[in-house]
Amino acid sequence: MGGGRLVTAAAGIELLGARPLLVSPVDVTVRLSPGDRPLVAVGESVAPGTPLVERLRDAHVAIVEPPGDVALRPGDRWPLEAGHHAIEGEPLVGAGGARPARRMARHKAGGPVGELLFESGGRWRLATAEHADPLESPVAGIVREVRPGVALTIRASGSVLPATSALGGTSRGRLELAAGADGEVRPSGVDVGSSGAILVVGSRVDAETITRARAMGVRGLIVGGLAGKERRDFAASERRQRAAIHRVPPFAVLVIDGAVRRPIAEPIMALLGAMAGHDVAIVDDPPGLVVDAPEVVLPVIPPDAIRVRNGPLAGRSGTWCGLAGIRRFAAGTHLEAGLVRLDGEPPVALPLADLERWS
Amino acid sequence: MSNDQRAFFALEQGTATRSASIVGWAAGRWRLLGTLAMPVSADPEAMIDLLLARFGAASPDLADHLGADARASDRWARLSVRTQRPGRIAVLAATERAVAPLAAIAEAAGWRAEPMALDVDDPLAITRVLLQPDVVAVLAGAGEPPAADERGSLNDLGAIVAAAATRRRELTVVLAGPMSEQVPRFDATGDGRGDVVLASSATTGDPGGEPLRVVLEGMGATEDDGRRAFERAVATLAEVMDRRIEALDVGWAAGTRVVAEPAVAGEASASRRRTIADACFVPAAPDDSLIDRVLEWSTQPLDRHRLRDRLYELALAPWADTAGEGAILRLAVGRAALAALLEATTDLPAASEPDLVVVSGGVWSVAPGPAVALAVSDVLRRPGSRQLAHDHARLLAPLGAIEDETERRRVLLDVSRDILVPLGAVVMPQGLRPGRTAGQLVVHGASGAIELDLVPGSLELIDLPPGETAVAELRFRETVRLGARGRRFAVELAGGLGGLLIDLRDIPLRLPERAERRRELLGAWQEALWAGVGS
Repeated sequence: MGGGRLVTAAAGIELLGARPLLVSPVDVTVRLSPGDRPLVAVGESVAPGTPLVERLRDAHVAIVEPPGDVALRPGDRWPLEAGHHAIEGEPLVGAGGARPARRMARHKAGGPVGELLFESGGRWRLATAEHADPLESPVAGIVREVRPGVALTIRASGSVLPATSALGGTSRGRLELAAGADGEVRPSGVDVGSSGAILVVGSRVDAETITRARAMGVRGLIVGGLAGKERRDFAASERRQRAAIHRVPPFAVLVIDGAVRRPIAEPIMALLGAMAGHDVAIVDDPPGLVVDAPEVVLPVIPPDAIRVRNGPLAGRSGTWCGLAGIRRFAAGTHLEAGLVRLDGEPPVALPLADLERWS
Repeated sequence: MSNDQRAFFALEQGTATRSASIVGWAAGRWRLLGTLAMPVSADPEAMIDLLLARFGAASPDLADHLGADARASDRWARLSVRTQRPGRIAVLAATERAVAPLAAIAEAAGWRAEPMALDVDDPLAITRVLLQPDVVAVLAGAGEPPAADERGSLNDLGAIVAAAATRRRELTVVLAGPMSEQVPRFDATGDGRGDVVLASSATTGDPGGEPLRVVLEGMGATEDDGRRAFERAVATLAEVMDRRIEALDVGWAAGTRVVAEPAVAGEASASRRRTIADACFVPAAPDDSLIDRVLEWSTQPLDRHRLRDRLYELALAPWADTAGEGAILRLAVGRAALAALLEATTDLPAASEPDLVVVSGGVWSVAPGPAVALAVSDVLRRPGSRQLAHDHARLLAPLGAIEDETERRRVLLDVSRDILVPLGAVVMPQGLRPGRTAGQLVVHGASGAIELDLVPGSLELIDLPPGETAVAELRFRETVRLGARGRRFAVELAGGLGGLLIDLRDIPLRLPERAERRRELLGAWQEALWAGVGS
């Protein structure tokens, strides 16, 4: 007798890629550009709507000449803020914000305001802009890291439903189900009654519906798959919106799976159904939907539940029956397979790589 | 691995694929006893358990002899390697002209390069890139000596990079050539100093820029770097097989090409490697150029939008949709990636035509051997005759991790028959003139002689199973190139899954401009070698 271990019929599910329904804790990262002004500090608590950052619009470079005895570093704000020190001696600017006239003589009122980039030949380059837009926190949480010009990180309260991508940045609104898991919302299906909401729009959505949703004041869409053409149309629309003079309200599209049409998975749909009516937030780093409603009862997923992620049966859910060994599939390919029961039908063998389990 | 070890696990964790194999001592030599490859998301311990279970079920006596019991996963040694997605490096120079060679060197060293120049990019845009978290290194360089239009900007360039290094301590800075003079700026940044590397310019060395490339390549490597181990294994394999080997690995995150030659006539053996990020299977954001390259090889009538979506799906889940049409698409994508790899590594010529071409990587794993042989022959258009083999168990890289050279040679000598699946042999002459026939071929094999006309532009398939050898005698009417120039050739070839391919198509391959005609032609070639694929 060999010494190999027996693998029971239902074993082997751990060989499937695991997809978490919810992940916590989650650190939401807001990318910063040089010149963006963080308005929060590490350790500070933030609530949804708390201003996090002033984002420069159409940033450009200006040149400033600070006094020679000032200790400046790349990333410092200009004009200098309270507490900034000279190279030696007393603070250049007092805690109360009083600005010694002598040292700051070269900074004229109405001069450029922004973030110091680098010094060359005694002059500093400054990232500045005529206008700045506030970015509000989409989530409640505690600020964990602030790196001017790089990123700001918040440990969010609640959990995140992971997705593959989020387009348009961050957004927050009450969750509404506008379509079923395999459904689709047409442009006429979105009206001002959905203003302020984040809509679940089913397995796919077209560019016209996205445009109309934004125009109706919708804050975001959640969709199973978004085709490349729609992604590019949305990106172009985003660029036009951001180039406008007036600040535009946040709007984001959360894509649960990929680029081809695919129903939203049953456990995810059950979660979204349970969260309907509650405020949720779309975040883009990591891409996902932040949910924070402890009173909501979350769906229970059986340990043998699986989902077909790719292939002709993509989107269907079922239960794991065990490994099937190497099987021959269409086009003569030989692949590791598993037996899966879909909707109570007899088990079928499907490639392991096309399946995912829940974790 | 100790000398009394009778079996061990060889594990590779790629960016898309995880493989596990059992190598054991049986019948007086090391043998491959079992192998498994799955998406990288699979639990490695579960893979090992399954591997042991299958081994125990298939060869109970041998499993018992080697101690393949429940504790084997803890007791047996593990040879592990890992490959990572190439890092992103910002490449800076004062002028666009100066940045181009620096970026080319960075790409040849396996980095994803982001070139920027002060004469075209404003300092804010440059700073924005330097502060992006996924930029892990910056290469700043200048000509040797700096050109007149560079000199005035070197201080600004140094200041921008030093400022970014101050704000991101984790950033590794490489100052190349005259930019080294800017190093005092980094002294001032204090603890950032340790991350500043001084290197030679893009033109120093023979070939130009090689010392800089070596520095950059070393920065991207880890202790258990699978690509470095892959090169070492290929070099050892060339030694033990006494063959010139070219290895082509198409990975999800990068393509790697290795050429290795055994020691001859007192000269030392040699191997060279290039890892190219742009020659990856599918980038995270498939662009128009990739779509064009894949459409060139596609036998399916896909419009650009649908193809973009399919490629995006592959970028998300490279192992998914591997049956049916998905498998055919993967091989078209694999051809495009292989072509990109060969195009990007023209500075890596083999001293002479390789005897053996080994392909590796997940893209080849799901297609039948003959289809893989055709895909490689479609892209690797060089006159000559060669054997094709597939590193099917993805074992070369883990075996390259054996530190002791003697031991590595011994193991590779033993297992080379197991780990390289023979795909077939290819005979590819160049210089055939269009016409009804260019000559005659006689294949002398174990089952007798086969004769056929050599028709220019055709692809002939002769059955020659793995393990069999044959002598192909080719008589051309006019002088052609087949390794050497001549009209009569006799080459000894070994068989494989794809048999013997007499490839009389153009070098380089010329395909019809019209998409429909091109698809038909590619489809016809593919159908001949891929059972189960047909219109």
